[in-house]
Amino acid sequence: MEHPPEVSPLLVRRLQWLWLGGAFLLVGGIIVWIIHLIVASWRLDDVIQASVGISIVAIPIFLVFIGVVFYVFWGVALHGGKRED
Amino acid sequence: MAEIRDPHEDILFAPIEHSGRGFYWAVAGLSVLILWGAIAYTVQYTQGLGVTGLHQPVGWGFYVTNFVFFIGISHAGTLISAILRLSKAEWRRPITRMAEVITCMVIFIGAGQILVDLGRPDRMMNVLRHGRYQSPLLWDATSISAYLTASLTYLYLPMIPDIAILRDRLGKRRLLYSVLALGWTGTEHQQKVLNRAIAIMAVLVIPIAISVHSVVSFVFSMTLQPAWHSTIFGPYFVVGAIFSGIAGLIVTMIIFRKAYGLHYYLKPIHFRYLGQLLLIMALLWFYFTFAEYLTGYYGAEPEEMKVFWAKFSGPFWPFFWSMVLCNFVIPLLCLTSLKQHTVGKVLIASLAIIIGMWLERFIIVVPTLSFPRLPFPHGVYAPTWVEWGETAGSLGLFALFYLLFTKFFPIISIWEIREGREHSVKEVEERILSYLPGEVDEKPGQLAKERHGTST
Repeated sequence: MEHPPEVSPLLVRRLQWLWLGGAFLLVGGIIVWIIHLIVASWRLDDVIQASVGISIVAIPIFLVFIGVVFYVFWGVALHGGKRED
Repeated sequence: MAEIRDPHEDILFAPIEHSGRGFYWAVAGLSVLILWGAIAYTVQYTQGLGVTGLHQPVGWGFYVTNFVFFIGISHAGTLISAILRLSKAEWRRPITRMAEVITCMVIFIGAGQILVDLGRPDRMMNVLRHGRYQSPLLWDATSISAYLTASLTYLYLPMIPDIAILRDRLGKRRLLYSVLALGWTGTEHQQKVLNRAIAIMAVLVIPIAISVHSVVSFVFSMTLQPAWHSTIFGPYFVVGAIFSGIAGLIVTMIIFRKAYGLHYYLKPIHFRYLGQLLLIMALLWFYFTFAEYLTGYYGAEPEEMKVFWAKFSGPFWPFFWSMVLCNFVIPLLCLTSLKQHTVGKVLIASLAIIIGMWLERFIIVVPTLSFPRLPFPHGVYAPTWVEWGETAGSLGLFALFYLLFTKFFPIISIWEIREGREHSVKEVEERILSYLPGEVDEKPGQLAKERHGTST
């Protein structure tokens, strides 16, 4: 049987880091946006309680998402093959 | 670990390995719909929203209806899949992936409706730069972002073992599969990490999904408009979303069962269970609808009654009574007995519900704006070909995205089916035995072993 062409492990690992970076960028971008809205409401002397109240809920949720993704990346990609329980 | 391979597993790889004539015909058909949508949008973009049926006082029409409808359909996936996963409903295994994909695809389409409705999409930048969190519209933007992120994660995580199977089995797209598989080899440590992550996401995604449609309802209920200012709009919208979501999932399952020959995996029993769930949701939907309209009628507030009668016997009566027919009467007739012709009955009920739920969203959005509280002149909304084109294009885009997904990844979770065969049959037996009266078993699994006289 003809074997499929091998792919470079280094390239794969670099692209995986890039993929993880993309996930951080997405979540980080949303968090930065939320913080920007708080700052804007502060600067304009708007009702800041609404912005802060929603951010207190929203930002930790996004941090949990990225935490889960990083946990999987760490556990599966970086250390998954090494530890055999 | 010895894997119990499914003799029919090749069926799941077939759509990824080969594309038949049917696929190209489907792509061509959907492309026509998308082209219609693209032309409609181009005309609207260049000439403005005046080419649509939107005007004063009806500033929201098909686009906002579609937005609420598509976001509702998105509850098919993540929410249903998470609930079934957490409740250890073993029959979920062949259907969770299909449900999760619906969610991810449809959120994009739903959120896109707002861009279309803006007329000038560059104004979206105003929301990003100068948004105010006092506005429920911004709550929507935040909760939909959270839901989309959660759904993408929740779709991707259970796909990792399947992507690794594709990496090892297929000759093509090796780079893509190698990157996305994250070096998965199926070690115990990897499985432990993945199962923990999936469990966290399953718990997290349920409140997020509920919050999303509650927040969608707040866009209406936070106003003082007649028939919108309601305290039960949150749960009413969530129930409607799950209702339409299940219907959407069933239709998708039936289409792909037929197209890809998945009869071995998607059995009548799956449709029977989903049909029963649909029946419960139909009754719940009716209860909420009854409570909502009865409260309005009993209060008899003059502005509210104008909208009420516009729906019951005024210009919107065909839509209102069609909605009742599609969402309650037809499902009740089809789903009360599912012993025979299960798939056919469930399909008819689901198609009716999809139409009925779209009509429900329509008669929530439009009649209130046609009879506003403020002293605007009343107005009737009639969509033009532009709105029809956008709607057809959106549906086409969703179907095309979904179809393309099935060409890259298995639409049924292969590893979860394998896991079901290897472990879950035994585990379910142990679980049932642990529910039954008897001695308190400190070590799970001991009872089953004693019964079978096996020891490892």
